[in-house]
Amino acid sequence: MNMLIYGLITGLLFGFLLQKGRVLLYDKQLGALRLKDMTIVKFMLSSVIVGMVGVYLLNDLGLAKLSIKATILGPVIIGGLVFGIGWGLLGYCPGTSAGALGEGRWDAIWGILGMIFGAGIFAEAYPMLKSTVYTWGDYGKITLPQVLGVNHWFVIPVFVAAAVVLFLWFEKKAL
Amino acid sequence: MKKNENGGWSPYLAGALAGLVGVFSVWFAGQYFGASTSFVRTAGMIEQLFGPERVAGMEYFIKVAPTIDWQWMFVMGIFFGSFISAVTSGSFKFQAVPDMWARRFGARSVGRRALVAFVGGAVAMFGARLADG
Repeated sequence: MNMLIYGLITGLLFGFLLQKGRVLLYDKQLGALRLKDMTIVKFMLSSVIVGMVGVYLLNDLGLAKLSIKATILGPVIIGGLVFGIGWGLLGYCPGTSAGALGEGRWDAIWGILGMIFGAGIFAEAYPMLKSTVYTWGDYGKITLPQVLGVNHWFVIPVFVAAAVVLFLWFEKKAL
Repeated sequence: MKKNENGGWSPYLAGALAGLVGVFSVWFAGQYFGASTSFVRTAGMIEQLFGPERVAGMEYFIKVAPTIDWQWMFVMGIFFGSFISAVTSGSFKFQAVPDMWARRFGARSVGRRALVAFVGGAVAMFGARLADG
């Protein structure tokens, strides 16, 4: 029960900030995909940078565990491409569709229904995919610092610096 | 607070704060943000209404049980959080067709938008689940 309340409160805060950042709009999501408006990229990358530093700090202090997903090239590459096609058509991603509906953009309902339908189709296809696509290029649960053989605090500043350079370029180009 | 032309906050600030919420979530609840698994759980809950035995025997619904969990409530929270922010800032707007879509396909193309959004949603979710995103 406690976890459900934690989930609701966390979602409330996140949804509030998504709306404040104006990243729930179809126009903003399509704007990013059309390389015309980088608002959602600014939001996401800022979030990733803070999250990366914060979560690795917690991890080093023994206060949290990393949640590393397996790197399997087949499903990640094909799934990413398929997701991109769907995202471009819908103009909302799974999380932002709920937020878009919250701010009154009710075309998100069609997307939410489609996503529930797509999830059902995926569940049907899973046994077949598991014995095929999921066996292509399985590298297990790896991280970049692990692959490079360096401490994560050498990798993190590089990512932060790259994000800052990208942000400066966005502002210069007024994207 | 520096405001954008559309009345919103700087996406850098809102994004960084959202990242902070994520860090606290990992700290206090041990939960990382995600949304797409909740759509699988919802599909399973709906299918259970029609064939509970079939759902109980499906490998993917055994892996991702059709129940309400932390993430499912998180997605609900996104809806309400966005609603609160939109209403209190006057940016709530009932809209059947997004502006950019209306400029290209017309403001009355509600049916076409519904079809494309449904198909897009189904395709996006299949891809997201495949990539475990």
